Amino acid sequence: MAERRTIVIDPVTRIEGHSKITLHLDEQGQVEDARFHVTQFRGFEKFCEGRPYSEMPSLMARICGICPVSHLIASAKACDALLAVKIPPTAEKLRRIFGLAQVAQSHALSLFHLSSPDLLLGMDADPAKSNLFGVLEKNPGLARDGIALRKFGQEIIERLGGKRIHPAWVVPGGVSEPLSQEDRDEILKTIPEALAIAVRSLAWLKGTMERFRDEIASFGNFPSLFMGTVKDDGGLTFYDGKLRITDSKGQVVADGLDPKCYFDFLGEKVEPWSYLKSAYYKPKGFPDGIYRVGPLARLNVSDRCGTPRADQELAEFHELQRSAVLSSFHYHQARLIEILYCVERLEQLLNDPEILSTHVRASARPNELEGIGAAEAPRGTLFHHYKIDENGLIRWANLIIATGQNNLAMNRSVLQVAQRYVRGDKITHGMLNRVEAVIRAYDPCLSCSTHAAGQMALSVQLLNREGNVLDEVKRS
Amino acid sequence: MSDSVLIIAYGNPLRSDDGIAWRVAEEISRTSSAATTLCVHQLTPELAKDISRPSAVIFIDSSCDGAPGEVRCNAVYADRSSENFSHSLAPDQLLSICKQLYESEPCGFLVSIAGECFDHGEILSASVMSALPQAVAAVKKLLERRSLLQA
Repeated sequence: MAERRTIVIDPVTRIEGHSKITLHLDEQGQVEDARFHVTQFRGFEKFCEGRPYSEMPSLMARICGICPVSHLIASAKACDALLAVKIPPTAEKLRRIFGLAQVAQSHALSLFHLSSPDLLLGMDADPAKSNLFGVLEKNPGLARDGIALRKFGQEIIERLGGKRIHPAWVVPGGVSEPLSQEDRDEILKTIPEALAIAVRSLAWLKGTMERFRDEIASFGNFPSLFMGTVKDDGGLTFYDGKLRITDSKGQVVADGLDPKCYFDFLGEKVEPWSYLKSAYYKPKGFPDGIYRVGPLARLNVSDRCGTPRADQELAEFHELQRSAVLSSFHYHQARLIEILYCVERLEQLLNDPEILSTHVRASARPNELEGIGAAEAPRGTLFHHYKIDENGLIRWANLIIATGQNNLAMNRSVLQVAQRYVRGDKITHGMLNRVEAVIRAYDPCLSCSTHAAGQMALSVQLLNREGNVLDEVKRS
Repeated sequence: MSDSVLIIAYGNPLRSDDGIAWRVAEEISRTSSAATTLCVHQLTPELAKDISRPSAVIFIDSSCDGAPGEVRCNAVYADRSSENFSHSLAPDQLLSICKQLYESEPCGFLVSIAGECFDHGEILSASVMSALPQAVAAVKKLLERRSLLQA
């Protein structure tokens, strides 16, 4: 009788952070289980204890170099709650602009720099070419568009926040500086090009879908719940709103959920094999309460985007599958639709008559000892929850990060892809890359979700039933 | 392509000697108007567009090689022999992307300062701190050379 074996992919490449994947094979060489292990740990929730609440936005922004703005916003909103203030309307709009620019640049990084090699060159391409250089050789226009789109978002962040990475412009009570007319006008000048890029990138991506029919069918294509923030009218929003949860048939399971009560309906489970906690929808228990967040989920739960071009794309997106769009391969298309929405919405906000107002910050001392802030980060819903003492010092903090909320789905997706493509005891590049590619579709940020430092890598191990490693592929 | 010079200092100022490049760039900005300076944590593809406009680009970086405080100055050229890219690039790779995407080949130079300590912290080690004037001088010498070449 053949032995049971384990394949280990270590590290997973072209994602944010460190992880490995373990595939467990039965005696017939069929994959019977798979796990996505996050191997880094940071502990931001712990070391911020004792710090003044006012430092939290800047401290929390350090969690991530890709989406510091999302942490700034969620953290500042939690601090707003501690102050119990209503921030000035212009401050709220400026925070929205900041967040949308962040989503655009982060999505551009994921799609163009990390996943486009798979989409343009194919899943079986030479690994030496499956990178940005391979993309710019085959389709320089696409590479230029990716660079331009990321730069578009980064430059807005820099104009508003003073720097591209870890800006400290969002503060408890609002923002620290108003938007100048010069900066507003300069940003507006960049909108037409960004819009054109988003439109043609969507056309390109949709044109490639036929080549990936098999992957679409097996990349995280399973029933689950979806969660995202929506406006009162069911429209897409990134800054504020109520949470909506829908099922795999597209039916609303829960609506109007207050993010400040997240602990009533979201649970977190710790598994011994990963530093990444697994979130689940409490009423359905663990693991049946599996849900997805991020672009795919947001578009599944949203009735509309609220901007003309993005609404057209959303209508088309909703037709991809009957009921909800279940395949995680469609995260890519959802990401581009969100970029399109961000560009359109940015233009609307920048032309708002109030946007140049200089009243951008409310002042107060802490009036509450507990505050919760939530926002939609590029990868999904983000929660910051703080408790302070009478002196305004942090006594307890809890962060629920999008990647953790996708953890169950990522694990199930890896299993589905591995069962579809992995056979026997021979590890091929195409198999390995598809297992990685499904993880990339979620665009996990492990530095965010585990609060750990470092680069992302992939490891695949093949073990016998005694646990001995028979084969191993590592990448650094 | 203009006659301007772009200085790109890269490193992490929260990692002790890795922050030397930023210090050099700040000193150049304070004392000279001969170049535009940019301080970044790492070289990313987006910078390819920035370096497509000037006629020369001077990269400043800390280095793990050499005796602590040793300052080196070398020309760098577009080279894509190392195509591994995840999140950051080397100067030759960035020049290569610039050439391929924007058909521009600015002259490239790399001024590197060998570091001693890369632990968490914002203070430069004594050997690297003492090399700051020499590194600034090396960059200024390049700027003067550019001026002479253009005169």
